[in-house]
Amino acid sequence: MRIGNGTQLDALCGEYMLGTLRGAARRRFERALHEEPRVALQLRYWQALFVPRFSKMIELQPSPRGWKRLERELGLARYRAPWHSRAGFWRAWAAAATAMLALGVGFQLLRPAPEVTPLLEIAQLTGKADASRVTAKLSRDGRTLELRAARAVVAGPAQSYELWLLPAEGGAPVSLAVLGSLDARFALPPGQVGRLRTGAKLAVSVEPAGGSPTGSPTGAVILVGEITA
Amino acid sequence: MLDDKEARRLLLRTAARDEGSAEAFERLYRTCAPLLLGVAQRVLGRRELAEEVLHDGFGAIWRTAESFDPLAGQPVAWMVAIVRNRAIDVRASHDVSRVDSYHDALEDDPDGALDRLFDWSEDAGENEDRRRATKWLRDCLGELKAAERQALVLAYEHGLSHGDLATHLRKPLGTVKTWVRRGMENLRACVEACMVGPR
Repeated sequence: MRIGNGTQLDALCGEYMLGTLRGAARRRFERALHEEPRVALQLRYWQALFVPRFSKMIELQPSPRGWKRLERELGLARYRAPWHSRAGFWRAWAAAATAMLALGVGFQLLRPAPEVTPLLEIAQLTGKADASRVTAKLSRDGRTLELRAARAVVAGPAQSYELWLLPAEGGAPVSLAVLGSLDARFALPPGQVGRLRTGAKLAVSVEPAGGSPTGSPTGAVILVGEITA
Repeated sequence: MLDDKEARRLLLRTAARDEGSAEAFERLYRTCAPLLLGVAQRVLGRRELAEEVLHDGFGAIWRTAESFDPLAGQPVAWMVAIVRNRAIDVRASHDVSRVDSYHDALEDDPDGALDRLFDWSEDAGENEDRRRATKWLRDCLGELKAAERQALVLAYEHGLSHGDLATHLRKPLGTVKTWVRRGMENLRACVEACMVGPR
């Protein structure tokens, strides 16, 4: 069946992009996409009009087994560059060689490297009660966040505290952690590493035990502070 | 997430089927799989199904990378469409009542959903055209009738069919179809007006 011009074609393009074109109608449209250039052109036009950027908030980490399975099932091994031509191999070799050298120098100096990662203060979170001040510190590599409360603050049995990042560029708050106490040290979600920058804010809300059921703050915001990193 | 330029390069390298294709494809997976899994999960509401769709979707990306037209398409949008269409098919073929218990719990807040799903902030790394197009789209979504906007957002975010929409919104099928068709028409007309208009 040929697809008509004008209004009908536009309606099909719109519904195809939205996902409401289903079953046989979608298959017919997809066949026409391959066979009739004007259909592909018109869809391309529609696609160019709507180019939103997806939010990081919807991202989910796939199961670690996912890639291995894909690699096996698609037989990807034969499309890999041989080991000696990979940049990564030489980079790893260089890193290993440097590490060996550093180790040698370290032994000579008999000076063990410090084990604690240094933490830098990035924000003071304050609320209505002045005594409930919380200091936020970030590790130098930006992956670990530590909260220290001036006065011990522990959630009741039916509550949790939830720490939110209010991005500098605006947009919805992003949950960083669900906590029982405001004295805590934890790894940041990988997607948020590097986003705790000057201008962004940290906030703590009181949520039902286990954290906000909606993914956005639902309870009272008790502490807030701007990041000055 | 990686930018369109890098994604395009990786897709072309994947399609080349030579030494190094696997590395390019792996990098595509590492950087895009979290977004694509998120898209599938919003449609299906069940993690194990979403992971399956992600797996099949990447199989399809590997097999059809050569059909991606680098001059035409936005590569990330191309991959999202592959995974979303699969998720929609799986949703339609599975026990819908079970999946629907998830959809019943959806709050009907199209504006909240739009801000959850998309990042509307200005990105300094983006070119001017893309930045303007993003702003127009957001403004035009805001100008739609509330019922049209809600129908479009629900259909897009959760892959609801016309029938699902009618059930969920408790409206006749014909009404919902009209909202969807007019919504898309009005959205397009509005973005086009922005393109030619003095803004």
